[in-house]
Amino acid sequence: MKKTIAHYVSDLSKGIKALGIGLLAAVLIALPIIYPKSYVMGVICRMYMYMILAGSLNVINGYSGQFNIGHAGFFCIGAYSEAILATKLGLSFWIALPIGGIMAALIGLLVAMPTLRLRGTYLAIVTLGFSEIIRLVALNWEGLTGGPIGIKGIPSPLFFGFKVSRSIHYYYIFLSLAALFFFITYRVIHSRVGRAWLSIREDELAARSLGVETRFYKATSFMYGAFWAGIAGAAFAPYFRFISSDMFSLDEGFNILSMVIIGGQGTLLGPVVGSIIVNFLTEFLRPISQYRLVVYALLIIGMMWLRPQGLVGASNSILAGGVVKIGRHRHTPTGAAAASGAASGAAPKGGR
Amino acid sequence: MDYYISQLINGICQGSIYALMAIGYSVVVGVVGLVTFTHGEVIMTGAFAAYFAFQFFGNNLLLGMVASFAASSFIGIFVYKVCYEQFFDAPRHISLLLTIGVSMLLKNLTQILIGPNNLPLLGVVENKFFGVGVVGITLVQIIVIATVISFSLLLFLLFNKTRWGVMLRAVSQDKRAAALMGINVRATTLAGNCIGSGLGGIAGMLLAIYYQTLIATMGGSAGMKAFSASVLGGLTDVPSAALGGFSLGIIENLGITFASASYRDIFAFIFLVLVLLIKPEGFARKRGGVRP
Amino acid sequence: MATLLEACDVCQYFGGLKAVEKVSMKIEEGDIFGVIGPNGAGKTTFFNICSGIFKPTAGEIYFRGENITGFLTEKIARKGMARTFQNIQLFKFMTVLENVKIGFHIRTKTNILTAILRGKRFRDDEKFTEEKGLEILERVGLTPYKDTLASNLPYGLQRKVEIARALALDPKILLLDEPVAGMNPAETQELSDFIRKLNNDGYTIAVIEHDMKFVMNTCNHILVLNFGQKICEGTPEFVKNDRGVNEAYFGKGLVVGEGYNHA
Repeated sequence: MKKTIAHYVSDLSKGIKALGIGLLAAVLIALPIIYPKSYVMGVICRMYMYMILAGSLNVINGYSGQFNIGHAGFFCIGAYSEAILATKLGLSFWIALPIGGIMAALIGLLVAMPTLRLRGTYLAIVTLGFSEIIRLVALNWEGLTGGPIGIKGIPSPLFFGFKVSRSIHYYYIFLSLAALFFFITYRVIHSRVGRAWLSIREDELAARSLGVETRFYKATSFMYGAFWAGIAGAAFAPYFRFISSDMFSLDEGFNILSMVIIGGQGTLLGPVVGSIIVNFLTEFLRPISQYRLVVYALLIIGMMWLRPQGLVGASNSILAGGVVKIGRHRHTPTGAAAASGAASGAAPKGGR
Repeated sequence: MDYYISQLINGICQGSIYALMAIGYSVVVGVVGLVTFTHGEVIMTGAFAAYFAFQFFGNNLLLGMVASFAASSFIGIFVYKVCYEQFFDAPRHISLLLTIGVSMLLKNLTQILIGPNNLPLLGVVENKFFGVGVVGITLVQIIVIATVISFSLLLFLLFNKTRWGVMLRAVSQDKRAAALMGINVRATTLAGNCIGSGLGGIAGMLLAIYYQTLIATMGGSAGMKAFSASVLGGLTDVPSAALGGFSLGIIENLGITFASASYRDIFAFIFLVLVLLIKPEGFARKRGGVRP
Repeated sequence: MATLLEACDVCQYFGGLKAVEKVSMKIEEGDIFGVIGPNGAGKTTFFNICSGIFKPTAGEIYFRGENITGFLTEKIARKGMARTFQNIQLFKFMTVLENVKIGFHIRTKTNILTAILRGKRFRDDEKFTEEKGLEILERVGLTPYKDTLASNLPYGLQRKVEIARALALDPKILLLDEPVAGMNPAETQELSDFIRKLNNDGYTIAVIEHDMKFVMNTCNHILVLNFGQKICEGTPEFVKNDRGVNEAYFGKGLVVGEGYNHA
């Protein structure tokens, strides 16, 4: 059996794992105290936020095998929800935050519904289109969203009276949210729900023959991913104090997608690595920032050529591409795709 | 009333451009057998190629067409080599993500090389108007519609009256069987891809001379519209794609009489969602009783 | 004996192609029901109709008395119909045990909330899938391979994994599509014994097969299809001697009763 990184990690004894996590937690918590450089803290805050964004996209694309490329749209909904609720209704951050997530989840359901029965490519285009529509609405609905001006002066969260506005303090909000995200996602993935998602990804026809309600689980995974993207957005709005529609363009969607593809799909660590790498590159490439997306594009292309599952992605999965020996014939892992392709009568099969 | 008629005419004209974009897309997806996200950038390439042809060689439409077709076909070769050649037998998502990457690459490279702003392209076609009051048709619109009809006819002749057309159709239906018949599947797929891309390039040129402006980021909305229109034909059926394009153009232009013009692009999306909800497999030749 | 699965004049047309034409059959509880016929006769299409992958152009399917025509595959699976596929649709990158665990999906209940809270329901489900999964592997004889990636197994074992996974549903009926394709005589005999053992344990089984010896030895009732139509139904003896069946396999003009092994 091909030993993957995940296997090495899970082979370690429980004690060592707990110790490792404990140490990591201690370091992360102490970081702003030891090294309170505002700029660095800002970058790390962004990294945490993107870990949630990439991680939630990974649940949709990596774990349940769907094709969302408009994740920026959910990010946008979360951010605007929080901003509007905070500035227009004076709601506290701690209430607006989950509402932002829920709004995004509900819209996620609406987006997924038309395409649950269809092939991945249709979902991809619908998510792309949706992401653009959300941006257009945010840009044009002046009454609600401030139009092109956006929303300014978003109030900082109050933590028992203490105003959380500096990066070194907001750091803990992002850290907690990221930790919460990974903790919860870990539990969901390692359960019957996670197994259902994996079965859909690997072979949807087989999953359905085993009674897995694929439409329900696809919708659920979409809502789950959208929820957390909304949370990330709702945390972002008061952090940046200002939002406008051009922060949530298609480029932003590709930004998030790049993290998942480069870092890895189908594992919890993948989006973490992806977020770190891409955000690091963003800082590193600041002098030539217009080349940033070119670099990401090249990395995506390279990754798909060399290691489709990403750096630390799930090697034992259909995400890793490649041809596999099954049965008497050399079989491409498109058996189910071909069957469901015939079933939906959509784009024709490739080599078959 | 006059206003609606003029919008209808605008709709037919724009619809014809969308139809050409959708036809090109259907040819590519039909022959290659893989869905692509790069068609928007291919269209953009054609637009810019025509722009530069006009800049350097004067407002010669024919030359513009040659330039845009050639440039887009060339980009089509690049897309083929990077995204399709090695991945016909791989899981679908790999070639799809590759086309996303290539689309990002092309868009951003263009932005770097040419700049992110709108480039004006004025006066390629004389500002002649034929009609009464608001109702009538401009020379540009006539040229656009005529171009689309001509190329559609050429494509029809190619596919149905030539041996190459038979090969293209065979490859689009069943690559393995085509190979067994002695057809060079590789070359034919590449040819189909380039023809479809070239048509996209022509559509790009038409967009440029019609709107009298172009911008490096025009690929996104163009690609979206090409896709939405060709969904009507299951992404592979050319006549349905053309119908989809015309419908989209008319719906869009009539739609913005009611809503603000900045919501124009939403119509493509609504169109797409409606088609997917009502008839997801499009109007392509029915595959029969298999249900999704 | 109660009728478990019944087809009434089922037709499946793909445009002009009549893949299945007015096929009716009854599978009683406790049967080992064979479906045979030359290649392209419509056998797999027929199974696809029964298990909900295709919606028939005409006709009805009844499962345990209920009209399941047009039901979704997953709904039919929940009602107690499990199947395997001709080209083995295993989860290639999962281990054998993980493959079988997916089979327990409909017998467990954990949802997102209970998964997060890790309450009793979650713990019970995990324990259940682990224990029962190992039990099934033991029964099928795959325990040494429980952590092997499905795609790394030899062909014959892959087939067994697929059957094990189908058993995880605790189905009322098991539809097997060409389970012994590509197996040598020893493996074929082993699988025949295994299927008869399953039948003794209470499973009703329907099998599509080409291997005549296997079918004649294992099944108690056989349906013969050719060109999408039913040409015979009955006991092995009856079918073996039916003129129509012999003509379908050997063409007209061959002496009946010569004996044969493979179609």
